[in-house]
Amino acid sequence: MAGFVDFEITWRADVFSGAPQSSSAANYGTVGINFRARKSRDEAEWATALAALNCEVPA
Amino acid sequence: MSTTYQVGETMNNIVVETLDLNLVDLRRAIQDEYAEVALHPQQGFHFHTGRPLARMLGYAEEWLVGIPETSIESFAGTGNPFSLGKLKPGERVVDVGSGAGIDSLIAAKMGGPTGQVIGVDMTPAMLNKARQAAAEAKLANVEFREGYAEALPVPDSWADVVISNGVLNLMPDKAAALAEMARVLKPSGRLQLGDILVQKAMPDSAKRKIDLWTG
Repeated sequence: MAGFVDFEITWRADVFSGAPQSSSAANYGTVGINFRARKSRDEAEWATALAALNCEVPA
Repeated sequence: MSTTYQVGETMNNIVVETLDLNLVDLRRAIQDEYAEVALHPQQGFHFHTGRPLARMLGYAEEWLVGIPETSIESFAGTGNPFSLGKLKPGERVVDVGSGAGIDSLIAAKMGGPTGQVIGVDMTPAMLNKARQAAAEAKLANVEFREGYAEALPVPDSWADVVISNGVLNLMPDKAAALAEMARVLKPSGRLQLGDILVQKAMPDSAKRKIDLWTG
C-alpha cells in the first residue's frame, strides 16, 4: 500500500463572495484552495513518511 | 437505503469521523445541480462560473484560446490545478470530475499530440458538453468516460498527473477517492487539485444535510 507525500497547500482565497445566489459558504469560512502532493515512489518512501507523520486536530 | 461512510482514517492522533448519508440521494442531488450548470449556465448559482471564474482563479488567457465556449461557460471549479506544476508534452493526465471539460481540454493542449487525457464525470449532461467541446476543438488526445471518483474507469499506474477541481469536497468518502487517485497514478506521479476547505468546525447535523453539500 502506498500513499501521498510532499503535501502542500499553495493558495487559498474566497471564491464564493459575490456569487449570483447566496450560499452557506461564508458560515463556515469556506475558501478555495490549491494543493499538490506526490504518490510515493515505493512502499519504503511511504513507510518513512508515515512514521514521520505528526498531525494535530483542532479541538 | 442508508450507507455509512468513514471520513478520514485512524492514524496516530487523527480522529475518525463517521457520517450516515444516503449516497444515492447525495449523488442525485449533485448530478441535478451540475446538470443545471451544464444546461443552463447563465441562470446564476451560489458559486461563480464561466469565464469570470476562470479569470478569478488565475487561468491564463492563453490557456483558454481554442477552448470552446460550451466548455468555458459551465466551468465551476474552485482552484487552479495548472498553477501547481507545468504539464509536460507527452504526459498522461486524469481529470477527476471533469465537468464540461475545460481543464481536460487545457491539459490536452499542454500535453500535445503525444499526451493523453482521460476526463471522468458522473453527470451525463456534463459529459455530453465535454465531448462536444473536444470535437469542436479538434482535440484527439482527450476522451471522457462516465464514472465515479471512488471507482475510476482507468487502469492502475496509468497517469503521470491527476488533476481535479472543486470535486473532492462533494464526496463523503474522500479517502476512497484519494485511494483511487493514488491507484491510477504511476509511482512518484503528481496530484494537482483545486478544492475547498472550511475554517470553522461543521457540526455533524450540518454534514448530514444534503442541500449543504451542494449549496
